[in-house]
Amino acid sequence: MDFKDYYSALGVARDASDEDIRKAYRKLARKYHPDVSKEADADAKMRDINEARDVLQDKEKRAAYDQLADHVARGGSPDGGFRQPPPGWDEGFEFHRGPGQGPADHADFSEFFSSIFGNRGGMGSAGMGGQRGPYRERGEDHHAAIEISLEDALRGAERQLTLRAQEIDAQGRPHLVNRTLDVKIPAGVRPGQYIRLAGQGLPGHGGEPAGDLYLEVRIAPHKLYRIEGHDLYMTLPVTPTEAALGAHVTVPTPGGGRVDVSVPKGARSGMKLRLKERGLPGKTPGHLYLLLEIALPPADNEAARAAYEALAKATPSFNPRRNLGA
Amino acid sequence: MRATTTTTVLESSPLTVGELARAVGAEDQWVLRLVEVEILHVDAPGEPPERWHFRSSDLQRALAARRLERDFGANLDTAALILDLQSELRRLRALMGAHGLA
Repeated sequence: MDFKDYYSALGVARDASDEDIRKAYRKLARKYHPDVSKEADADAKMRDINEARDVLQDKEKRAAYDQLADHVARGGSPDGGFRQPPPGWDEGFEFHRGPGQGPADHADFSEFFSSIFGNRGGMGSAGMGGQRGPYRERGEDHHAAIEISLEDALRGAERQLTLRAQEIDAQGRPHLVNRTLDVKIPAGVRPGQYIRLAGQGLPGHGGEPAGDLYLEVRIAPHKLYRIEGHDLYMTLPVTPTEAALGAHVTVPTPGGGRVDVSVPKGARSGMKLRLKERGLPGKTPGHLYLLLEIALPPADNEAARAAYEALAKATPSFNPRRNLGA
Repeated sequence: MRATTTTTVLESSPLTVGELARAVGAEDQWVLRLVEVEILHVDAPGEPPERWHFRSSDLQRALAARRLERDFGANLDTAALILDLQSELRRLRALMGAHGLA
């Protein structure tokens, strides 16, 4: 695990003020926002700057991080390798969730972040170090994402999910444990939907229940189908003969079956054929759209060349560039 | 450590105001403000908040509003406009994709 330089991630100096950090973050967040950025690694950059901001804008976390950075600078291994914070590095620090900080986002943070601050959204007052009295608090809700295949989304599946979570040991020191959950993915789940796992969030305190875990469903890119809302799109290649004269062709459906489709006479490239309610299932099922693409047979033998020439002779008035005025 | 867990999709078990607030680390009042500025839409606005229900798209918008507030200091009216513009951008990109232009 590499030691992460959060100051470099935001491009600020070690003595940067809160305002400097805020400005640097906002500038970079606009640059790498996934809706506007053209950078190839925008997602990764956004994660890095979110993580750096999370630490540097929190007074207690920043002080703890600075102390750890000093420790690593004094005795860290030459290659910058970093294993675990040294014992006692966080003494006297108490991490609080600041106003306006939600519990989300931290699921994507790095192993380095987890090793220091645990996999916790905001550190509750029972987080690390310091003296505290008994109190009761329901555990915070936690967020993560799960990527599944389109087939799993359609048919339902069971998946194992490993989460890193922080626990307090008998000596009162935090340590990270891996939790493996067997998660049932209901059939018909759609991208952007959330699955709620009751009681799988952060543990409660003083006998209060644990929070919930929310999993955002993401669907991995598919080699045949593209998802748009509830609908699926597939490119359907047809020959010039099939497009011109009409044809019946067999196409695969996302559910695993096959269906006969009628290509109308005079079909053009880009024409859309709709297979009603063959998209994502649900209360309002989506449709499967087939985008026609005319594939030209290669003129790589005498018979094929003769056929193309015969076609040209048979359609002397056909001018595909008529609209260009040519 | 290993556990099997019960899963529910928000579409079949929607969230209450309190549950949505907790899921985004906010107070109930904040969720009521989201409804007021129309970041969230409820099926029956005339009903008391105890009867409101929220689904996946609501949680997604609430989380996005929380980030805009936190990351850019946006107030909720500004966040509402940004979220609407984002939705429009995604709708247009989907339309381009549907016409093979994306």
